[in-house]
Amino acid sequence: MKRKLLEHLFSVVVVGAVFGFVIVGVHQQQAEEAGVHDPAVAEALGLRFLDFGDPLDRALYKESLDAFIPQQRERHEALLEAILDARRQQFTDELYKTGAEQRGITGEKLQRVLGMYVQFILVYVVVMAISVYAAETFGTLRFVRSKQGTSSSLAQMMIVLTNDTIPAPQRYLRALGLLIAACAKGAGLMILFSPAYVIAYSFKTRFDTDSVVFMIVLGIVSNGVLVHYVNKFYTFLVAESRKGYVETALVKNLNHSYSTRDPDGIYRGDIFRIRKRFPKHVFQHIYLNAHHQYLPALKEHAAFVVSGLVIIEMALNIQGHLNYEMLKYILYKQYDMVLVIVFAIYLLVKGTEVFVDVIVEREARRLENRA
Amino acid sequence: MLSWNGRRGGLRIERKHMHRERAGGGLQSLLQYKDALWLAIWLAGLAALGVWDVLFLNRPALTRLAAASVNTALVASGVVVCSSLMGWVSALALHFFDHGRHRWAYLLTTFLLSLIRSVPQIVGILLGYVVLTLLIRGEVLRQQASQLVVMSLIISVFVFLEVTDLIRERIRHYRKLDFFDAMLCSGVREGRIINLEILWKNSRAHLLHKAIHIFGATVFLLCSVDFIISVGLSTDVSLSNFPPTLGGLLATMDSKQDILAISTVSTDPLALPDLFFEHLQGISTAFTIVFTLLCMYRISSHFVARRRLE
Repeated sequence: MKRKLLEHLFSVVVVGAVFGFVIVGVHQQQAEEAGVHDPAVAEALGLRFLDFGDPLDRALYKESLDAFIPQQRERHEALLEAILDARRQQFTDELYKTGAEQRGITGEKLQRVLGMYVQFILVYVVVMAISVYAAETFGTLRFVRSKQGTSSSLAQMMIVLTNDTIPAPQRYLRALGLLIAACAKGAGLMILFSPAYVIAYSFKTRFDTDSVVFMIVLGIVSNGVLVHYVNKFYTFLVAESRKGYVETALVKNLNHSYSTRDPDGIYRGDIFRIRKRFPKHVFQHIYLNAHHQYLPALKEHAAFVVSGLVIIEMALNIQGHLNYEMLKYILYKQYDMVLVIVFAIYLLVKGTEVFVDVIVEREARRLENRA
Repeated sequence: MLSWNGRRGGLRIERKHMHRERAGGGLQSLLQYKDALWLAIWLAGLAALGVWDVLFLNRPALTRLAAASVNTALVASGVVVCSSLMGWVSALALHFFDHGRHRWAYLLTTFLLSLIRSVPQIVGILLGYVVLTLLIRGEVLRQQASQLVVMSLIISVFVFLEVTDLIRERIRHYRKLDFFDAMLCSGVREGRIINLEILWKNSRAHLLHKAIHIFGATVFLLCSVDFIISVGLSTDVSLSNFPPTLGGLLATMDSKQDILAISTVSTDPLALPDLFFEHLQGISTAFTIVFTLLCMYRISSHFVARRRLE
């Protein structure tokens, strides 16, 4: 474990050094670009007693130059043009119009970004916690339903339609109900697979889509995150249920009924508990092993969630949030601040990886009865 | 003669019966192979949408939608090809650096790959688009085709690691088996064992599954980045700079109005039919994106289940 932590630390230090190096480089380049290149122009613009916006001052400046160096009149004209161009650029170029904000990395900016970063971390933690719970709960529910032999609504509809024992009007009504259920499930799936911005624009007139709560909801249900990880957990459960120890457990007479009505079966409330327990049931062991396999996948899950939240904040232009701020910095070409934010996000992902490694190690020690 | 005719007739019936059986078998196998079924559903769904759009969507919008769909599909296919190549090269490089005692080269490559891995894909692609914008503004990339290729390359840089991981995992798995050492002893080159025996003969299904997954992921990432750029960076960097894609088309004012109209249906259900006639551009674009993501996911998961790749 120590080795892993050292690896993470080394990685953070090296990546931090690379980012630091690039940030300093970008910062210097921006400082050079922000300055006026021609020293003569810079010198003229530095003359506080002259206002180049005033034609009288302009004429005075040019005539003074012509009087001192009369053989370079064309050069003086070109210089004056360059001065006016530089002034125009300062007034009109959007890079100079980022409010009253100073360019480069400043304490004030870092403080503001830090506040947004803390908010981003809080949202991320909530989304991760809920989506991990949802993935395990719905994965378990799907597994239990598949063990109960529940088929899809469309398949059930076909069975009902071909069942002659049910009287005709009742049969068609039931089939219609199942068809509606299938359509509702289809619509639900479409929502779960929708990118966050599609859902947000679809509900924009109904809800305050800029709120943190809406962002959390979107982070969980959109971009296919939930479906993807429910399916992942379900796959782990299926793979575990095929292993030999399950057969052995059955021989040893552990409960293996998946009916929710059977006293020896699965209690529906247990599926929805945060700490899931299925005492004396073979599924307890299937679940624990699947859960153990799912833990390392949390790293991938975390990266997915971070990407999703970045997309939500940027695509919905949620002002005052970290990634919208990053988008603004990209727009105004303040790449040093962009790199600071990217590094902060990197630290968050890395922090999650360390956390997952610690949990996996602790769990492995517990399962393998190591001290 | 009659009996002969009868036989011919009988044969014909038999053939017809066989044909029917074969057709039934095809349908049955389509139902059995759910990945193929979902592929058929995806293609049929897009075709049906295309027909509907031809009938009811105005010509300029239809042209834009067709161009955006084609460009999105081209970039996604380009990413599949590029990321497969990049993943293959990097996995083999890592393998040979690791086993050929080139420790420094191995550590350096691993570090570079970790660096790419640690940047969220969407952020990395967004920064890549900044480079793309500079290239377009500098008129280095004038042709739309070259812009699409660079878009594919940028996305591939942040996606190919999945292929690298898969190939390395496959090589690691087969290295543990006896046949690897046996082939080495028989004088077969390691490169040939990896490329032909492990990857081509024993991992095609895994690679195909990864390709399907990458296609879906690319559609999502590309649409998201284009949407973000078109909405968030809408001064210099806009639709006019980049080849149209579904994400960019969705970000246009018309499409956004169309999507906004969905929420009015909850208060005014009678407005539902309008969505399919008056708000067709946005609805078609959003449907194409979501339906493609859903179908790719379904194809991928059923393919895994059928080939038992889990």
